[in-house]
Amino acid sequence: MLRPLSTAAIALSLMLPAGAGARPLVLAIGGEPDGGFDPIMGWGHYGSPLFYSTLLRRDAALDLVGDLATDWTLSEDGLVWRVTLRGDALFSDGTPLTAADVAFTYNTAREAGGLADLTVLAEARALDATTVELELTEPRITFVSRLATLGIVPAATYGDDHARHPVGSGPFRMVEWREGEQLVVEPNPYWHGGEIAFERVSFVFGSEEAGQALARTGIADLVAVPPAMADAAPRGMKVLHVESVDNRGLAFPMVPRAGGTTGAGAPIGNDVTADRAVRLAINQALDREALVALALNGHGRPATGPADGLPWDNPGAAIPGNDPAAAMATLEAAGWRDGDGDGLREKDGLPAAFRVLYPAGDSTRQALALGAADQLRGIGIDARPTGASWDEIGALMHSEVVVLGWGAHDPSEILYLHHGAYAGVDYYNTGHYRNPVVDAHLEAAEAAIGFEPSLAHWQAAAWDGETGFGPRGDATWAWMVNLDHSYWVSDCLDPGPLQVHPHGHGFPITHDLPSWRWTCE
Amino acid sequence: MNAWLPALVAGRLLRLAWLLPLAATGLFVLISMAPIDPVQAYVGGRTSQIGPEQREAIAAAWGLDRPAPERFASWLGRLVQGDLGRSITFNAPVLQVIAARLPASLALVGSAFALSFVLGTLLGLVAGATRGRWPDRVIRTIAVVLAASPGFWIAILLVALFAVGLGWLPACCAAPPGRLDSEVALADRWRHMVLPVVTLSVVGLAPLVLHTRQSLIAFLDGPAARHLAAHGARPLHLAFGPGLRHAAGVALTLHLAGAGELFGGSVLAEAVFAWPGLGQATVRAATGADAPLLMGIGLATLLFVFAGNLLADIAARLADPRLRRAA
Repeated sequence: MLRPLSTAAIALSLMLPAGAGARPLVLAIGGEPDGGFDPIMGWGHYGSPLFYSTLLRRDAALDLVGDLATDWTLSEDGLVWRVTLRGDALFSDGTPLTAADVAFTYNTAREAGGLADLTVLAEARALDATTVELELTEPRITFVSRLATLGIVPAATYGDDHARHPVGSGPFRMVEWREGEQLVVEPNPYWHGGEIAFERVSFVFGSEEAGQALARTGIADLVAVPPAMADAAPRGMKVLHVESVDNRGLAFPMVPRAGGTTGAGAPIGNDVTADRAVRLAINQALDREALVALALNGHGRPATGPADGLPWDNPGAAIPGNDPAAAMATLEAAGWRDGDGDGLREKDGLPAAFRVLYPAGDSTRQALALGAADQLRGIGIDARPTGASWDEIGALMHSEVVVLGWGAHDPSEILYLHHGAYAGVDYYNTGHYRNPVVDAHLEAAEAAIGFEPSLAHWQAAAWDGETGFGPRGDATWAWMVNLDHSYWVSDCLDPGPLQVHPHGHGFPITHDLPSWRWTCE
Repeated sequence: MNAWLPALVAGRLLRLAWLLPLAATGLFVLISMAPIDPVQAYVGGRTSQIGPEQREAIAAAWGLDRPAPERFASWLGRLVQGDLGRSITFNAPVLQVIAARLPASLALVGSAFALSFVLGTLLGLVAGATRGRWPDRVIRTIAVVLAASPGFWIAILLVALFAVGLGWLPACCAAPPGRLDSEVALADRWRHMVLPVVTLSVVGLAPLVLHTRQSLIAFLDGPAARHLAAHGARPLHLAFGPGLRHAAGVALTLHLAGAGELFGGSVLAEAVFAWPGLGQATVRAATGADAPLLMGIGLATLLFVFAGNLLADIAARLADPRLRRAA
């Protein structure tokens, strides 16, 4: 009777000092998944997947490196990924992770109808305990984004309650989730990735104001804050502005107004923006530095493309902005002249005028629309900022200019925004842009054998020396700014090197959470 | 003696029998007419990772590819078997979502209900008893100001004063952040409840004060009170003695009938204070056009308000025997 008790007491006394020494980490960065933490339904999209490991992961420079995978190759025809797994990965319940779990995860997610798009997967097969084959229905290199985001679940215990009681092979395991309030996690002792400096990590959800109040009272160690108030960091915290590709730009209707409508009856085309000279002149005229100062309080950087600084970006597709003289020369040469002396140009009786739509509740986009309109008036273009609901924008975005934003860590976005097959589909190619050469480059990128080889094709789609979707070519957009994502960080916390953030402020900062460290004693 | 009770309950149940299907149909029509695409709301910021084919798969998985009348019919079919369906937003059975969040909301609404009843009746009685003098004028001014103030504005004022300014009370949440449920002391829970409960009780306070005051005045002006007064009973004694019984019936009826309003107010208070209750879930369900959950919450609220009204009628009859004959 005495022996088990004393053993337990010794075990307890051994555990306690370790627990008391490590300081818990409290984060108020939003990102609570309403539907829970089930990768098969789409959890683990940006930021740390917390409870799960993925086959691959993107490092701070967005290069692909192995997580569960030690080796990964794509077959000559681009259809079969063969992935070799590390043999030592364990789930947080102590059971080993095998190729069968990977195959189960991929096959189940394909059928689930959740937020993991695996429609291109034909079948996932486990060849032996550590080798898995993923066969695609057609070559599609953007599938590697799934390899880097889909967390592996255990085939043996996966079920309906998984989303709220997750079991994975990731850096953390769940201690408690009070929905709508907070998530508490602790290091997963079976994790294959090394030591974590925190005894416990709490994610506090709720309003932005509540997070700021927690920072001011010294409870939270890292808080997402709106850029406008970021510089007023409380004592003991520093301001962190993270560069992002969370971009905003003007999406142009690319075809003339010929009377066509979408399936829902929305008009397609705009005779003014269908003229490349107008789109080019807008790209030449915009003073993006001024827009950053005006709309973002200086917390951002000028945008020249949909993926500035990402591996698939082509800086050569950009043209210099803030050059009204060049813009006016472009317009003059194309026949846009101010015939009636009202300061605004027209061509063959058609005034150089269009609306610039923005969602009425978004003050950043409103400031961008107003700022851009003001600059364009200077070159004789009458851009009229118009606030609207998303519903109205959905009906007008094929015939008017819209302030839209993108910025994913996934080149699929380049395809969706510029390929003719996505013309008028959802929010993708709103301008109904079609260029067979660009389409061919995008298709070549998807068909590339390997992610590295695909990069040149994505870049060629933006500008290949003759044509492209970028400003130097067809100028399908006038990109304006990339937002900075702002945080208050405890002076004692070192989050290490950070990725260029994607669209979405908050949770993405946790991408390398397991390697964060305390710097004070 | 309670012959009036079965008749009353039977009549109300009959009313519920036609009210429920009518409300369900109306709710469903409203939700399907809402200008929100549930698939787009579900996909949210991930548009570039979810291709058109996957969108179709999502729609199919939630049955959103079928016409609205068909969806309503299958929802009704499952409802009859006691299945409220599955919430899109929370990826869980509707009943489970409601059951998980109802306790937090009930704690909030229940406390606010009790607080505002006690406070409202008390202030109303004092105002009626001191009619025309300064306590009456102060109380009436407060009531009118409260009636004219939006709940969220009061919440922000309270937070600014007691949480940020004085630092006495927490600004948000149901428990201190960074601690496990098992580590939260009861006293901490009470402290976190104060501001949300006060905010919420203030919402229904004004009408209660003014009605109680009015019904007390009506009693005090009546022959019974004049008779007592002639025998030397003082106004305050009359108010909290026989007057209380006269005013309580009205106050209780009014207060219980306004329970629905309290539920509506909790949506707002929960949003401001990050309170993890049903109100927060309602906001998510509405912005996500989550039809099954909205229908579930709608019906639950209807039952709640219905029960409130029924209790009000029963309580009023218990407090005031004259009403039993009328019914």
